[in-house]
Formats: sequence, structure tokens, C-alpha cells
Amino acid sequence: PRWLHCGSAFCKNKSDSEELQKIVENEPQKNDRSLVTHDDLFERTSKDSKTKASFNKVVEVFSKKDIRRRGHVEFIYAALKKMPEFGVERDIAVYNKLLDVFPKDVFVPQNFIQKMFNHYPRQQECGVQLLEQMENYGIMPNVETKVLLVQIFGKKSHPMRKYQRIMYWFPKFRNANPFPVPRELPKDPVDLAHFSLTRIANDLDATVTVYQHPLTDITETGEEISQPHIVGIQSPEQRALLAKHNPNRPVFVEGPFPLWLRKTCVHYYLLRAEPVPPEEKLEEELDPELVGPEQSLFYPQLLSLDLNRDLGDDDSFDIDEVEEGPVYAMCMTGGGDQATLAHWICRLQETNPILGRVPTFFRLEAGSGELQTAAGVQYNPGQNPQAGPEMEHITEQEAARSQGMKQ
Amino acid sequence: MNLSRITVWSRAATLGKGVRLAAGVRRTGEEELATHLQPRRLIVSSARSLAYAKDLFLGKLNKNEVFPYPEISHEELEEINQFVPPVEKFFREDVNSKKIDEEAVIPQATLTGLKALGLFGIQVPEEYGGLGLSNTMYARLGEILSLDAAIAVTLSAHQAIGLKGILMAGTEQQKAKYLPRLASGEHMAAFCLTEPGSGSDAASIQTRATLTEDGKHFVLNGSKIWISNGGWADIMTVFARTEVLDADGQKKDKITAFIVERAFGGVSSGKPEDKLGIRGSNTCEVTFEDTKVPVENVIGEVGGGFKIAMNILNSGRFSMGSACAGMIKKLIEMAAEYAGTRKQFNKKLTEFGMVQEKFAIMAQNAFVMESMAYLTAGMMDRPGLPDCSVEAAMVKVFSSEGAWVCVSEALQVLGGVGYTKNYPFERFLRDCRILQIFEGTNEILRMYIALTGMQYAGKILTGKIKEMKRGSVGVVLEMLGKKVHGSLRRNQDLGLTGQDGLVHPSLTESAKMLEENAVLFGSTVESLLYRYGKTIVEEQLVLKRVADTLINIYAMTAVLSRSSRSISIGLRNHDHEVLLANNFCKEAYFKNNYWLVQLQKGSPENNDANIKKIAQAVLEKRAYICSHPLDRTY
Repeated sequence: PRWLHCGSAFCKNKSDSEELQKIVENEPQKNDRSLVTHDDLFERTSKDSKTKASFNKVVEVFSKKDIRRRGHVEFIYAALKKMPEFGVERDIAVYNKLLDVFPKDVFVPQNFIQKMFNHYPRQQECGVQLLEQMENYGIMPNVETKVLLVQIFGKKSHPMRKYQRIMYWFPKFRNANPFPVPRELPKDPVDLAHFSLTRIANDLDATVTVYQHPLTDITETGEEISQPHIVGIQSPEQRALLAKHNPNRPVFVEGPFPLWLRKTCVHYYLLRAEPVPPEEKLEEELDPELVGPEQSLFYPQLLSLDLNRDLGDDDSFDIDEVEEGPVYAMCMTGGGDQATLAHWICRLQETNPILGRVPTFFRLEAGSGELQTAAGVQYNPGQNPQAGPEMEHITEQEAARSQGMKQ
Repeated sequence: MNLSRITVWSRAATLGKGVRLAAGVRRTGEEELATHLQPRRLIVSSARSLAYAKDLFLGKLNKNEVFPYPEISHEELEEINQFVPPVEKFFREDVNSKKIDEEAVIPQATLTGLKALGLFGIQVPEEYGGLGLSNTMYARLGEILSLDAAIAVTLSAHQAIGLKGILMAGTEQQKAKYLPRLASGEHMAAFCLTEPGSGSDAASIQTRATLTEDGKHFVLNGSKIWISNGGWADIMTVFARTEVLDADGQKKDKITAFIVERAFGGVSSGKPEDKLGIRGSNTCEVTFEDTKVPVENVIGEVGGGFKIAMNILNSGRFSMGSACAGMIKKLIEMAAEYAGTRKQFNKKLTEFGMVQEKFAIMAQNAFVMESMAYLTAGMMDRPGLPDCSVEAAMVKVFSSEGAWVCVSEALQVLGGVGYTKNYPFERFLRDCRILQIFEGTNEILRMYIALTGMQYAGKILTGKIKEMKRGSVGVVLEMLGKKVHGSLRRNQDLGLTGQDGLVHPSLTESAKMLEENAVLFGSTVESLLYRYGKTIVEEQLVLKRVADTLINIYAMTAVLSRSSRSISIGLRNHDHEVLLANNFCKEAYFKNNYWLVQLQKGSPENNDANIKKIAQAVLEKRAYICSHPLDRTY
């Protein structure tokens, strides 16, 4: 049986769900020819709970009310739009169910002329749209999707092509990111800091230390003390670099710098120094007896030849290297105030005694430094995620040791 | 030239033992050192440039260095033939290797027996109570000692490195004071160089010796690890940093060698390491805490310890060739015994081609190692101070790796039985794994072999290469002419074969292969120097191929020289030697050609780039990073 597709507004419905039935029956009376009718359908059925179950219910009701599924294209468009609201935008089963709304065999081209021309373009476009939404949410179609598409549109239709393209590219891109962020981030701020710091440092030798656990306590006097977490990371290499730091030159605590993990933004602080000026650089002198030619105890590490690498074998690139100062450590904390960060430096001093002799400056930008989620702040690259203008208040402090004593 | 060679080879024939003849030679410090080492062979001939391996880097085959194969005098041969049977008997009857391995200790009775045989002072001169044997004869004894690896390691830690410092660079007083008791085995020696922070990096030696205020003592502080005989040794050669004023009057840290007695105090040794093999030998950490060492106990000069350490290690490595050969000969006997009696499918194991191949591999390896070891020992026994460190390193690399293959093949002949502790194969397998590690790992030695040659060739070729780079037409044309000439006349003639050839005619084909390889090697080295210059130090994969090719060329030389001699003087079974030599040369020739062709390519073509990428990816994550084959994406 073939029919020309007609608007959804004229459907007459029977339904077994009582509540829904009413709604659906009321529908034509509204005399509204726009898509909103289906939006309403979703709105009205799920006033209190927007869940997968209620979404499926609506789809079921629609499928059953009319054998001919009149208005299914509009219904599917409306459903696609509503999916994120119901939290089912990443659910392959729901997409398949939605696809199942299409009547089967009707749109499959029967002869070469139909095949040649765009057979049932609206329906095909709707199918493609559905697949595209799946694609945007990174949902991989499964075998069921394929079977449905073949049943609905045939083997060489546009939705089928779309399906094939998705199936070609998706697996290839799936693991393209060498630093994947899990979909579910750790809830505990300490764990999150641990994850973020190891992600930034990307150094297997680096050790994460929890310098302070988050704590909220009420003292006897009734005062509420809250202690923010301080989680830091430092590698042995950084420790060695710091040990060689010239104690007359200051080190800086800088931050907060943002790090985005999917839709979450966290902030971190750096302990760094200015680049060493060239006149202070010490070239480590190697004893030619120990590393030079004719060395047989261990092999020669340099030859005394006046020959350089031939251009033909010089595979190095010409890179302009901009020298930056060394970063000695990183941390994340629940409170970005100076006292908290001074406490971090103080604890760092336990493994890096040199910090006691080096003047430490705090260059902190204003900002809470608290964990912000996309719900709270929409990230806008043009705008500083921290409220307020860029206020760099440089607080000059005595040496960190005196800091530590104050604590 | 020929005449002088004859005098050298028939060395000492007319000379009594221990006669010192040093007439007509300006005895420089180094030569003096040599005469201390070889007190018995003191013929002095014209100074020779002993650089067979190094000259190969220039494409030159210094055939007079290696032909004819070195011989020992009748007296020496007689002496060693008298000496060997009692040692063999002792090892056969009185050494229980299985027990030594299980209990991880060498019984006192066994040690006493070894001392009685004089095996604690094989190379110590007779005047100090040792046997005073030459390197060649030391190698011969090594063949027997290697039947028990734990004993071999203990003895070589004692005399090949432990007391070698005193022997090579010690003063008369030091020798007189220490050598007699060391030679008798009353005292055991150890060699303390390695430190926790300086596994393969001497520059990071931390042990420090500070001169006391009165200037009479050094105070030694620090700890040394993996010291063979560390728990037993009474006398130790210790290397430590000392402050030395250099030419500009600035203070510098230099390494100095000391003789340290345990009796000086402050010396403590840790728990013996529990090892995979050579379990009977004692390996432990030795710590020095404010040990007072008299200044008289400095070996050589203050600050000159590094050279001493190098010379000690260089001179000890060659004996590994004969030791491995001795072990393989024993393995062949044991495995052949089994293969000859065991029947499968109504056939003896010996009738199966694949089993036969294993024996051929073992025999060939033993033959090549033996040839290399005694050629090198013979070179080292020559008067003067022959620098055979590259050759010795090649012997060590080749024989340690060959031994591993052979033990594994021998074990395979026995199959599951060989895997059990009922047979000694598994013990040999465990024991011989250390050979590739100690006395300089094979990786480090390969670098040493290749880079020493590169330095040598580089010095000579720098001018020419610079001319070429500058585009000097004359040099380029000359080079091109040489190349064309070489490619037209495939057979290079370096004078090994033909009318006045040094190689026996039945080995002509192999000799031709050697010549071809040597010439191609020389031109490859030149192109490598042209391409990499001094940065070749960074190209370890290139250097590995250079070293491997050189080792093969040296091995080819050794077998050709040895079997030519055997045929010429009609030794028993010399036809078998010819067979082995020809077979080995053919194999080595193909391998060399493959490596040399790879060396002429760039890193993308010869797979080096891929190897580096693979390793980088793995090491970045410190794990195997491939997805599991059962994983799926949809």
C-alpha cells in the first residue's frame, strides 16, 4: 500500500494507555499544524519525570495508535529534539526504537527509476537526520540499526549510505585521542586533581602527593574550619632541577590556570622560575679521559674528529626554540588563596630543602579557583572564566621559610 | 721483515726462563709495564704496529699480524702438556659442580686442591711463587677451568682482574709484599670498580679517597657493588676519586687505584647475591668506611687509576674464548653420547638432519672461538705492549654469544631431559648467561669495538673526507675510480691467495671472501665517516653492525690462519678444520654482505628508523601498547 504522506495534524488515534490516549485524542482538536504538537506530546506525557521509560512510552504509543504511522516524520524530528531532555541522547536502543517508527518496506525503491531518483526524500532525509544526531553524540549504530535501515529504506538508500560512512569512520576515530578523558570524571575533588595533574604532567616518574585532605570541622567554640584539599605533583627530574636552582633568584607560584576536562574546568598552580640567563649556565665539563676515545672500560662517548654530520644525513628540523623557565612543581587546591598555596610550598620544602633558602613570590590572579562546571559557567574563550578583570596582585613575601613559620 | 717475524715466532727458543733482555730499546713506562707482565718472553724486535683490527677500518688487511698462526715453543708446549692432565683429573674427580651449584658455595677442600695446583697464581711470575704462564697458556688452562663456571669466575676475579693491577702497575715493593701470598691462594683478591650509581658509567664513581693531613694515608669512603669474591677477598684493588692538581694548578677529581687490605679496617661486605648462575662464586657489596690506606698502596700514580682499570679489563677478556670453547667441547661430548644412544622412530637421534645440524653448529662455534682466542693470546704474548684490546673485546663478544647458542642447542638435543636437573645442561645454560653481561656487557663492548676503529680511521681519513666535501675534483675522481675499479673486479686481491699467498690453496675461496669483505668494510667505514662524522657516537644501531661485521671478519681471519697452518704442518684431522673454516667463512660472508649493504643505506631503508619508533612508542608508555587482538570497536 502506498500513500502520499500527509501532515500529522490529521491523525486519529487509538491508544491503550489511558492518559496518553486522552492526550493523543485531544491533539487534532488543537488544530495546530506545526511540529509543536509532537513536542507537546512529549511535554504533556512527562510532566513529572523525564526518563527513558517515559520517552519509550511516547514512542510506543505513537507507533500503536495508527497502523499507517501517519505523521511519523514530524514525530521523529520532534523526538530527536527532545532526546537530550530525557537524557537518552546517548542510548542506541532508543535510536533504534525511534527508527522503528518508520513503516517498513514502503520506502524501498522497487524499480530502477525509483532507484535513480530520490525516492521518498523527506523520509530519507529524516532517517539521515536521525543518524546524524547519533553521530554528533558519538553513538555507534549497531546491527539492529542496519537491519532496520535495510527494511525501511533498502540497501542503497541515503540513510544506508550514511550508516556505512559512520561505520567506516567511527571506529577509525574512536581511539584517535592519545589522551582520552573518561566520560565520567571522578567526583571526589582529590581524585579529580590526581587525574588532572597526571594528565598535565604526563610523566610516569612523577609522584602525586596529597598535601592536605579536604576537611570541614566545627571547633568547640562553634567556628567552622574548612580545610581545602592540596594535591601536588613533582617528578624526580623537577626535584633535581630545583635542587640546582640558584638560591638568589626567586621562584614564583603562579596561577590559577584553567584545564578543561570535557565540560568541567579545573584550575592548577605552578611553581616555576624565570629562565636561567645564559651567563649563569654551567656547562658540565666531562673528563675526556672518562668519556673520550680509546675508552674501553665503558665505551667512548665522544670522538675527537673534525668531521660533522653530512647534510644528507641530517634529519633534524630547523626549530626556533623559545626558552622558558623551568616548572618545578604543580598543584591543585580547593582554595586559591595565598595561605593555602604557602602551605603547599611549605610541604614541598620537606622533599626540596632548597625552597627554604629561595625567595618565593606569589603571583596569583583573582579568582576563586574553585571547581566550576559548565552548568555554572559557560566557557567563552573570549572571556576570562574567572569573574572580574585581570587583577594581578603580586604579593611579595619573605622567603618561604618565614611563610612556613607563620603557618 | 720476514726474518724478524721468524725470530718472534720462535720466541724464547734459545733463552732460559726468566732472562731479561731489553737491550737496544728505550724502555718507556708502558714497555716496562709490558715486561712486568711477560717476564718470560723478552725478545725485543722492531717495534710493530699491532693494529690488525684497527687497520681493517681502513680496508687494509694487515696480514703479517695474523699469518702465520701463532705457535708456542716446544718447551712451553711440553710444560703445558704436563700441567694440563693433573688439572683435568682434579676437575673430573674432585670437583662436584652440581653440589657447588646447589649449595652456592665452593667447598674448602676444592679450594685447597686448586691452591695446591697453583691455579691461584697462573700468571704471577715464578719469582713471586706463581706459575708464570703466558697468556696463551693461561687460555689453555681456562679451557679446563671453565668446566665449573663458579670456580672459573672465582679464579678469574682473583687473578685476571683482582691482582692484575699489582702485577701490571705495582711497584717492586708492592709485588713482593702481596703477590706471593696471592699466588699461593693464601689471600684472595677482588676488583672493586662498579658502584651503585655507576653501572656502566665510570664518570659517576662516588667512592672517595681523601689524603690525611700528615700525607701518609688516604681515607677511603664509599661502597662498591657486584664484587666477585667480595666476601672472601683479603686484598682488593679499589678505584676511588681523589683530588689531584692538574697542569693549570686547579683541583680536579681523578680516579686512583689502591691496594686495600681487609685488615686495614672499615671494610665490610654485604650478603652474597643470590644469582641465576655461577652460584658457587661469591658476589656481594663491599663498603669502605674510613678505611685508612697507606700512600704506598697506590697503584701507579695518584690520578692514574683509570688507565689501570682499563688495561686490567682489556687484558682479561681474551680468555673467555678458550673457556667457552672448552665448555662447548665438553657439551658436544655429553650431547653426542645421548644422541648416539637414544632411539626414536627406530632411528638414532644422530641420523636426524636437524640434530646433526646442532652438532655442526656447536663444533663450528667451538672451532671459531678457539681460533680467535689463541690468535689473540698469541698476539698479546708478543713482545712490546701490543694493544689487543679491540681484538680481545671481539673474542669476548663472539664467544659469549656463541656459548649461549651452543648450550641451548645442546640442551635441545636432549629435549625435556635436558631441562631437568638430572643433567648438567641447565646448569651450563644458567652459568653461561653471565658471559654476555660481565667484564663489560656485549653492548658496551660493541660500541667500544666500533668506535675505537672509527676514531682510528677517522684520524687518518679526515683530510680526505674534508677534501671530498669541499668538492675537490681530484679526490672525488679518485674515489669514483676506486669504486668503479672495485665493482669491475669483484675479486679483491689483498695478497692472501695466489703465488705468495699466506692462505692454503684449499681455502682460496674463503680467503677471497675475506678479502672482499675487508675491502667493502673499509669503504663502508669511509662512507659512514663521511655521513656521520663525529656524531656517529649517537648511531648505536649503525655501530652495532660495524662491530658485528668486524667481529666476523676477525673470526674469518682467525679460522683461515689456523687451518692454513694445520694443513701446512699436517695436524690430525686438518681436513675437518678446512671444512669448518670454509663453512664458517661462507656463512659469515653472507651475513657481512647483508650488514654492509644495510650500512650503506639510510635509516628509513634499513629499518633503523622503524626500530627506533617502535621502541620510543613502547618506552613512552613503558608498556606494550597494542590493543588486545580480541578487542573490538563496534
